Amino acid sequence: MSTNELTLTPSQSPSLAKGKLVVSPSQSLGAVRRPVNTTGWREWLFTVDHKKLGIMYGTVAFVFFIVGGVEALLIRLQLALPDGRILSADKYNQMFTMHATTMIFLFAMPMAAAFANYFLPLQIGARDVAFPRLNALSFWLFLTGGLILNASWFLGGAADGGWFMYAPNSGPVFSPSNGVDFWILGLQIAGIASLIGSINLIVTVLNMRAPGMTLMKMPVFTWMILVVQFLLVFSLPVITVALVLLMFQRSYGATFFDVSQGADPLLWQHLFWIFGHPEVYVLILPGFGIISEVLPTFSRKPLFGYPFVVFSGASIGLVGFGVWAHHMFASGLGPVSVAVFSMATMAIAIPTGVKIFNWILTMWGGKIWYSAAMKFAIGLVILFTIGGLSGVTHAVAPSDTQQTDTYYIVAHFHYVLFGGMVFGLFSGFYYWWPKVFGKMLNEKLGSWNFWFMVIGMNMAFGPMHILGLQGQPRRMYVWTEARAGEGLFNFGFWNMVSSIGSFILAVGVLFFIINVIKTTRNPERAPLDPWDARTLEWLTTSPPKVHNFDRIPVVHHLDEFFHRKYEEDETTHTMKQVATGADLVRAEVAAADVDIHMPGASYWPLLLSVGMGVLGMGVIYGTPIMVVGALLVLFSAYGWVLEPSVPEAIDFDTPSTDGPTKEIAPVG
Amino acid sequence: MDIVINVKSSSHRIRNSIATIFGIVVLAGCARNAPQDTWQPKGDNAQIINNLQWIVFPMAGVVGVLVLGFYAYTIYKYNDRGQPIPSQSHGKPVVEVILTIIPALILTVVGVFTFRGIFELAETEDTEMIINVTGQQWWWEYDYPAQDDQGITQPIISSGQLVIPVGTKVLLRETSRDVIHSYWIPALNGKKDAVPGRINLLRLQADKPGLFAGQCTEFCGLSHANMRMEAIALSKEDFAKWVSNQQKAYTAPADGTLAKEGEGVFLNQCIRCHQVNGLKKVDGTPAIAAPDENVYSGAAPNLSHLMSRNTFAGAKFDLLNKKCRKDVWGASPETIGVKYLSGVSESCLNATDLRAWLRNAPAMKPMYADPAKLEKSGGKYRGMPNLGLTETDIDKLVAYLLTLK
Repeated sequence: MSTNELTLTPSQSPSLAKGKLVVSPSQSLGAVRRPVNTTGWREWLFTVDHKKLGIMYGTVAFVFFIVGGVEALLIRLQLALPDGRILSADKYNQMFTMHATTMIFLFAMPMAAAFANYFLPLQIGARDVAFPRLNALSFWLFLTGGLILNASWFLGGAADGGWFMYAPNSGPVFSPSNGVDFWILGLQIAGIASLIGSINLIVTVLNMRAPGMTLMKMPVFTWMILVVQFLLVFSLPVITVALVLLMFQRSYGATFFDVSQGADPLLWQHLFWIFGHPEVYVLILPGFGIISEVLPTFSRKPLFGYPFVVFSGASIGLVGFGVWAHHMFASGLGPVSVAVFSMATMAIAIPTGVKIFNWILTMWGGKIWYSAAMKFAIGLVILFTIGGLSGVTHAVAPSDTQQTDTYYIVAHFHYVLFGGMVFGLFSGFYYWWPKVFGKMLNEKLGSWNFWFMVIGMNMAFGPMHILGLQGQPRRMYVWTEARAGEGLFNFGFWNMVSSIGSFILAVGVLFFIINVIKTTRNPERAPLDPWDARTLEWLTTSPPKVHNFDRIPVVHHLDEFFHRKYEEDETTHTMKQVATGADLVRAEVAAADVDIHMPGASYWPLLLSVGMGVLGMGVIYGTPIMVVGALLVLFSAYGWVLEPSVPEAIDFDTPSTDGPTKEIAPVG
Repeated sequence: MDIVINVKSSSHRIRNSIATIFGIVVLAGCARNAPQDTWQPKGDNAQIINNLQWIVFPMAGVVGVLVLGFYAYTIYKYNDRGQPIPSQSHGKPVVEVILTIIPALILTVVGVFTFRGIFELAETEDTEMIINVTGQQWWWEYDYPAQDDQGITQPIISSGQLVIPVGTKVLLRETSRDVIHSYWIPALNGKKDAVPGRINLLRLQADKPGLFAGQCTEFCGLSHANMRMEAIALSKEDFAKWVSNQQKAYTAPADGTLAKEGEGVFLNQCIRCHQVNGLKKVDGTPAIAAPDENVYSGAAPNLSHLMSRNTFAGAKFDLLNKKCRKDVWGASPETIGVKYLSGVSESCLNATDLRAWLRNAPAMKPMYADPAKLEKSGGKYRGMPNLGLTETDIDKLVAYLLTLK
């Protein structure tokens, strides 16, 4: 209570009368105060704003997308010709392990988290997530985990057991480098990030929806993110346990997976896939959510069968917990288990099919605008349909015993995940870029981006169907002429096509990067409602203000924003416009609330994450380091607890008297 | 050639790319000389799987063509041509229900056949022959327990190539000595993992004599890609000949020959891990290999009758040179028995690879064989180390190995 700022109240503060933002320091732990100066780089390091965290999630995830992509290109270079010599066996095994790990844990999940962080509060009309500092902790822990995982490249070699890390091959004898240890600790820390994030978002959705927004008026993107968070809450603890067991086996001599001590290596497989299969839906459902926003917007129709799409998403999530053993059809489970999991796997195709039909029927009868975002969304529907159908072919367990661990599976999950998830994310980039950055991505470059990606993707992964059915196994650092066959389906031709395709795909991604650079340099601002959109995130400025909405919207409809713009003509049953999106946004700004309370920045999430990283390194490099890490974690946790989440002083305030054009700017 | 064009152009036109999958299904059967083709069953078990493939692949293809065809039409038809914004219909529950029931019905049909297939493939009661198959980094051991009705009076231990009689229901009892491997001969059956501490059963049956390729399909570490296998089905008469050859007693090379000197090198070096049944030390006592003292898995290939096999080092390398190898692979079902049973003669030997292997094995196949890197395995190798043999030693050893008919 010794500083001036802390004693200020809104009525006493002269600066507040001018509508400025004040962040007050707190006295927690004496020496380390709540950050005051939130400009420049500090604005990012100590932020708890869900939008800034979303942008950071997205940026870091995209960097990891490039890293994972380069790993993929090296793999394809190695396999373009028989007996490839680009990578050694050891490096190749590290490469495919890290490609999958990076793409799943460091790109797909955090990129979905980026979208969720940014848009979920906006879509439900909230000012932030429920626990803003936890949100920051999630991000910093994810970054810590990602850095630990990739640090292994420079510290004795990366993990080499495959992303599934089957025991006992992941044990200390079979994988003697530290790579697997880095992998365990990196994933464990990134897993904590996801777990915290999922709890945060569930609480946000369940408690912070705008008045009138019942669950069944919630946008489908938010719904799918909600389902994903429940999947994470229930599946992450399982992998956490598995990773702890493996860590104790590798670092402290435990024998959880040591057969000579009576262990059963299938324990790991069950634990891994009980997490690993829901994880597949963790990856895919955000993509489904994104295109469930994009397809209706660009078809000018609501999503066909909204409740069916929502419930099929939820049932995919639920049934997703009951199909894990279809990854283990060759493990020797016995015919009863195999039959049950085979049937359950077929069953999951039904809600998935429902989604595809509903997306197609959303477009049926529409007035379709083929923007870049829409192209990617349509691409998703087509590619995912192909991937889904090839998935049904290995739901047939006996057929799967021929296909599993061959390139046919690689083809399948790249159609499902690259086609289903990455296309969804790119659709989201184009759709929401103007919202996040206030600038439009170039549509022409977007089209190039799309066509290179879709052609490259089909060239890279399409031939893998052939290769797999011809018997080329996965995870082999070389393939040999002796098994290549002759004629149309020989390995040589199709491996080459696939490798060329992967580079075309890479050029597609390059177009996106060029597009981002061009757009960032372009001073032209995006319109407030460029797509004639349907959901609440468009009912505010672009980019949104710190507090998201000048006035918390009251919701009456599914697609609230659209229904504020259009009314149905009773004679023709077509829609006529009664207001533009920009009008509505200006009206909101004009009617801005007073006394908007936002949480202040904090050092602790960042410090705690650093502590966790050091603690993790201690597992590999010895107890003294671990002690330092543990002390840092404890110190940060104490600081966190003693720091009031809502400081006594008001963080900022926007008097409505200042008029509609008032910008809220932080002050130092 | 029109097939190539069809498949390639489909890749470019995504709206039709489902045709790629369908095309593969139809055309996979046309693949020539693809040793690991999953669509060319050569025995009952693989045939059961293939029948299921012929149900589910065309079904997936037809559904795909219909759905994506309808989608393509939608994409074309509802392009914005200035039509008014349509009524905001939220869907029709009847349509939803129908579109849920149709896939459910299709999947039920597939499910019934699948269910039957799973239990048919799990059948083991009418097994006629048992072979114990053990995986380890990075080769397979085949252990034929004594079975009177197959003429096997004492156990046979072999590696590299699985030899089975045609028309016989063979049960593989799989396990592993280190990590998980997976046994896969696509022409004969799907995969089954070899899991340490467990015994998994896999039935094989071949209709005609022939040579079938396979590959370890569970990632098993550094040299996973080099862990291959081959199965040879012989007519029952030929199989009996093979069995009797495997059970033939050891004949030491004649004194004074290069091979005899090679036996000395073998006793000096190789016997530490590799057993040759019947081999005696200089003092006349049996020479017993002790791989468990040197190799992490506790096993190294038994080299008795090595030259009756066509491969070595986990079937990564051929023991036969290219010409002789082609002769066996290309043989008709009628002649393959004779050709296979003739084994590896000096003129047919792939001396280049065999000598290179003996000279420096880790250079030929990535293995954990560097003594400096074996701390965590208690100094035990995974794979064959560089023995530092001289060229003269290698000459002698090759001459000796050639006597192991």
